[in-house]
Amino acid sequence: MPMPKPGNTGSVQLLGLMARVAARDREAFAALFQLAAPRVKAYLVRLGSAPTAAEEVTQDVFLTIWRKADRFNPAKAGVMTWIFVIARNRRIDGLRREASTVTYGTTPPDAVDDDTPTAHDAIAACQHEQCVRRAIALLPPDQQEVIKRAYWDEQAHSAIATALDIPLGTVKSRLRLALTRLRAAIKDLK
Amino acid sequence: MTQFLADTPFLADTQFLPDSSPAAPRYHPAIETLAEYAAGQLRAGFDVVMAAHLRGCALCRDEVAQFEALGGGLLDSIEPACLDDGALAVAMARLDEPAPTDTGPLSRSLDQLLAGGRRRWIAPGIWIAPIDTPHEPETRVFLLRVGAGSATAHHRHSGVEMTQVLVGALNDNGVIYHAGDMVELDQRHAHHPQVAGNEPCICLFATHGRLKPTTLLGRLAFALAGV
Repeated sequence: MPMPKPGNTGSVQLLGLMARVAARDREAFAALFQLAAPRVKAYLVRLGSAPTAAEEVTQDVFLTIWRKADRFNPAKAGVMTWIFVIARNRRIDGLRREASTVTYGTTPPDAVDDDTPTAHDAIAACQHEQCVRRAIALLPPDQQEVIKRAYWDEQAHSAIATALDIPLGTVKSRLRLALTRLRAAIKDLK
Repeated sequence: MTQFLADTPFLADTQFLPDSSPAAPRYHPAIETLAEYAAGQLRAGFDVVMAAHLRGCALCRDEVAQFEALGGGLLDSIEPACLDDGALAVAMARLDEPAPTDTGPLSRSLDQLLAGGRRRWIAPGIWIAPIDTPHEPETRVFLLRVGAGSATAHHRHSGVEMTQVLVGALNDNGVIYHAGDMVELDQRHAHHPQVAGNEPCICLFATHGRLKPTTLLGRLAFALAGV
């Protein structure tokens, strides 16, 4: 399959696709798959999954996306955020096959929402997602690095300690500093 | 023994998680712990305690949503991987598969999970109920109920501990934690939490690494409870 470029899937474009996927539009699903599936797979591989397993999990994630598309609430989260949450949860479920765990996260993909989002809400959520992305870009590279690793590295904290050659105890404070700066940057951009 | 029976509190603690806490929580998880949770990187078991906190804390729910948006942003910027040939065809072919009707134990709610713990009395006024987390043998999650005025064993940790106060209030080293508050501790702390006020206190704990009780009662209690 041809590889899409990183970044700029385009929040607004995705929003339109999602609305059509929710209306059972297979063409829109195919387009969404081609845009986002290579990213979901990359995320899983980055977290230590073997490519074959990552491919399978990616397929599962997209089947979930298809089945739950009507529950996507654009007022609550952007499309990539919603996909991220589904992929994250699916990965955790796989890791915990024993499965005595609670439904994970505060924006579970199957959360049923009664309030119908307005176009204004959807734009706000969309802007929020873009805002977060711009805020990351504003951070110094070493802080971007520590945040990325916190999301993408297996056993993130010890991996950060090894990669940056700092004691494990320093990882938490380094991460805290980066996240605090990120939060401030998001506030400024709003 | 009679003391245990007289104190049998299968009373109001059937509902550990009221839908709205009487007051907004004052003590929260650290920012990096919230991000770890949103990233799906928080150790199994600790996420249960986090979920209990989030239930009653709108502030932290917003923070987690923000860190989930960060996850979405990072996913958007990741260098895409190559899919197998025919991946799209595989995906399209699966769309008509019947959806599974039974989602199984994964959909167990927090309340069901907490209610599933079997209570064991370990001292007058004190019971402990281990919460099942078979996927993470080194993390122990348990509910601990301590009667008014009691103290738990003075202990140190070999790892980290996360505590969510569900009912009543806890006094740890002079700081009072109320229902809805979370206490995060690491191995640097030795502590001796006591129940504050006249109400029994029920907490949800997750701990990684063994507790090191430093009193005889503590050793006994924690040995009995297998914590």
